Amino acid sequence: MSGRYLLRRLAQVVPAVAATLITAFVVIHVAPGDPVLALAGQHGDAAYYALIRAKFGLDRPLPEQLLVYAANVVRGDLGVSYVHGRPVVSILLERLPATLILMTSALVASSIAGIALGVTAARRADRPTDLIVRIAALVGYATPSFWLAQIAALTLALGTGWFPVQGITDARHVSTGWRYAADVIHHLALPALVLAINELALTTRLVRTGVLQSLATDYIRTARAKGLPERAVVRHAFRNALLPVVTVIGGRVGMLFTGAVLVEAVFAWPGLGLLLLSSIQTRDVPVLLGVFLLVSLVVIVTNVVTDLAYAWLDPRIRYE
Amino acid sequence: MRRGQRWIVLSALVASVIWATPAWLHAQDTPTRGGTLVVAISADPGHLNPAITTSGATHTAAELLYNGLLGRDERGDPIPDLAESWTIEQSGAVYRFRLRNDVSWHDGTRFTSTHVKFTFEEVLLKFHARTKASIGGALAGIDAPDDRTVVFRFKQPYAPLLMQLDATEAPIVAKHVYQGSDPQTNPANAQPIGTGPFRFTSYRKGAEIRLARNAAYFKKGLPYLDELVMRVIPDPGTQVLALENGEVDFLWGVPGPDQNRLKGDSRFRTAQTSYHPGGSNCIMTVSFNLERPILKDVRVRRAIAHALDRDAFLRQVLFSEGRVATAPISSELAWAHARGLNMPSFDRAEAERLLDTAGWKKERDTTRVARGVPGVPDGTRLAIDFLHFPAFSKYGELMRQQLGAVGIDVTPRPLEPAVFAPTVFKDRNFDTNVISYCNGPDPEIGVRRMYHSSQIGPVPFTNAAAYRNERVDTLFDLAGRTVERDKRTPIYRQIQEIVVQDLPYYWLVETPTTRAWSAKCGSFKAWTGLFAEAAFCNR
Repeated sequence: MSGRYLLRRLAQVVPAVAATLITAFVVIHVAPGDPVLALAGQHGDAAYYALIRAKFGLDRPLPEQLLVYAANVVRGDLGVSYVHGRPVVSILLERLPATLILMTSALVASSIAGIALGVTAARRADRPTDLIVRIAALVGYATPSFWLAQIAALTLALGTGWFPVQGITDARHVSTGWRYAADVIHHLALPALVLAINELALTTRLVRTGVLQSLATDYIRTARAKGLPERAVVRHAFRNALLPVVTVIGGRVGMLFTGAVLVEAVFAWPGLGLLLLSSIQTRDVPVLLGVFLLVSLVVIVTNVVTDLAYAWLDPRIRYE
Repeated sequence: MRRGQRWIVLSALVASVIWATPAWLHAQDTPTRGGTLVVAISADPGHLNPAITTSGATHTAAELLYNGLLGRDERGDPIPDLAESWTIEQSGAVYRFRLRNDVSWHDGTRFTSTHVKFTFEEVLLKFHARTKASIGGALAGIDAPDDRTVVFRFKQPYAPLLMQLDATEAPIVAKHVYQGSDPQTNPANAQPIGTGPFRFTSYRKGAEIRLARNAAYFKKGLPYLDELVMRVIPDPGTQVLALENGEVDFLWGVPGPDQNRLKGDSRFRTAQTSYHPGGSNCIMTVSFNLERPILKDVRVRRAIAHALDRDAFLRQVLFSEGRVATAPISSELAWAHARGLNMPSFDRAEAERLLDTAGWKKERDTTRVARGVPGVPDGTRLAIDFLHFPAFSKYGELMRQQLGAVGIDVTPRPLEPAVFAPTVFKDRNFDTNVISYCNGPDPEIGVRRMYHSSQIGPVPFTNAAAYRNERVDTLFDLAGRTVERDKRTPIYRQIQEIVVQDLPYYWLVETPTTRAWSAKCGSFKAWTGLFAEAAFCNR
């Protein structure tokens, strides 16, 4: 892979992000709704509403608001939240770690478990193990995460008492160091599990199909004819089957964030998803745009990383 | 001006009122010191300065950090707080408050009258929407003649002041913290300094706010708790699960389907209250757009009222948590609430008769059509829309069912709050809607805005019906400048009799909320923002 290719891919990030921002800005402002109401409450007088409107520049024409916003974004200033009264950048940075922990845990867990289950099912194709994995994957893929979250909370938390149903730490005991890490992992278990189920199902199905297809190719037949042990055969087939899996996992980051919004809402996980929901309700436009910007950046960068992973997995692929 | 009625309330009254609370507010055990109370809140407040906003989220999370000049007892009557006594002079045009001399801010600075004057002039009357809209227009000035005296002077007698001085309507903030800054961007909004029973410890945005006991609190012996944690849990279902799982101790509200389960479980206590920092004494109210020809005839509005089975709303929407409204003013404001009014009752036959006489006839279609209705072309179908918040969709379903039975075609239109308000109050693009109109602690605050003709306009949640009645305007103006409550009562009765005849609105159900808490804790004052001032937990 040439450095020029990498630079070109990175340069494409700028127009993609700009297009996302402009579209989001226009859609949010064209949609009906008035942030002033959320800010001022329902008992204000006309002068107070005018004051709030002027304070946040909402009395200016829309194109002017867009130009001012774009110029500020270029300078790294995402504006000030209407509701929180603080810079959007600091609000996003506060919330980002919680969402990253949740999404990364779910992605890693679902990828590892999905690959393991997919390979197992492929090796035992059309046997009871394969049937069970396929049915479970189908059910997992079809189950909405918000429903799964409720069921998990009722059974694994309330039913057993093993897990908490809300938050990132225990409210009654403030801990530090390793105890803090253990507390976070304890609270992470249920939301990460729920978020991972959907991805796990998809990965399992993809890996199973990919390995089965690979196992049917000529080079595998040759390998078997040479007397290669079945374990080594599957390893060869698995590496070739990984390519579509990596494509899908990379492309699913955006979807994973969508799932994280719902899971964070149910489990009161204080991340970007919860921030996005509350910002929609209050029409906190600067925060909304900030979340869109951040998520689009993450998705685009993930796609670049996916491209790089291609070349690593398949030496035949060269980018110029 | 003659010297008017003089009320002196002694501090001894505080103790008697505090302890004369209903039994449900106290746990079985005697109060013990220490411990942590975890309270679920529905939204991140953004900041913790209740003086610059009416946001329910901020007030719910922050009021325990502050005090008002006055508090309120469980009946809604004013009691001393930062002010130990008060007098009303010049028939209610002047209010003089005597402040306590043993109050200090959380940073140790002594509390004086200059803080009160500053808070009103520089913060509340500029940024607290309700206080600005009500007191702001009536006030002539505030004086602080000495450290312990504050005097409010009004342009003319102003009745509801004493109901507007608690930590919800007028929390007092520190002058030495906010002076010379923009109160809306002052860093202290996220690290507040107040006089309240708890002082600020930490705030993790979107997650939790931690408060600690204010050992120097001026009410001796209070609070009992060492620590109080406000945990942000947006989903009401998760809040209930967290209570059942022992992760939180107190819920501000319980969804209808969960109430019976909690009520039947000895591990929990529940209670109903009409108070909420975002608005108290609320009535779900149908507004008729009186500018629409179809709804101008009072017989049509009366027919709609007769066609609605409000008991069904109570059972099916509120799971019987509440009351059918019997007057335009909430029964929680007992002194202003009129009893025995001739409210339209559920009577489908009467509804049909009224529609027939108004010219809306049943023909081939199930929906009635106009035959000789003034301002409405013959053959027009009796079809109306019904705007509501998405959370109120069950009201829309019942409206469609019940009015459909008498030949009125209803189309529910769910709109988010931020869209609903401009559609109704600015664009006036609706036939009917349902709004949770909160009466507040005094009719001047939450009732006048619904009926006074000066309240017709784009300002949200004012006179949605665009109702105009000179007599009603005059009576509201009179009630607003009559200080003596016993003289205001008959005025509000007259108003309610008139509006029940005119029916610009139809009042469906009063909607108290259910608080729930762990049985290990008790002594919550659910009617005020200082709800945990005397609370305790025995673990």
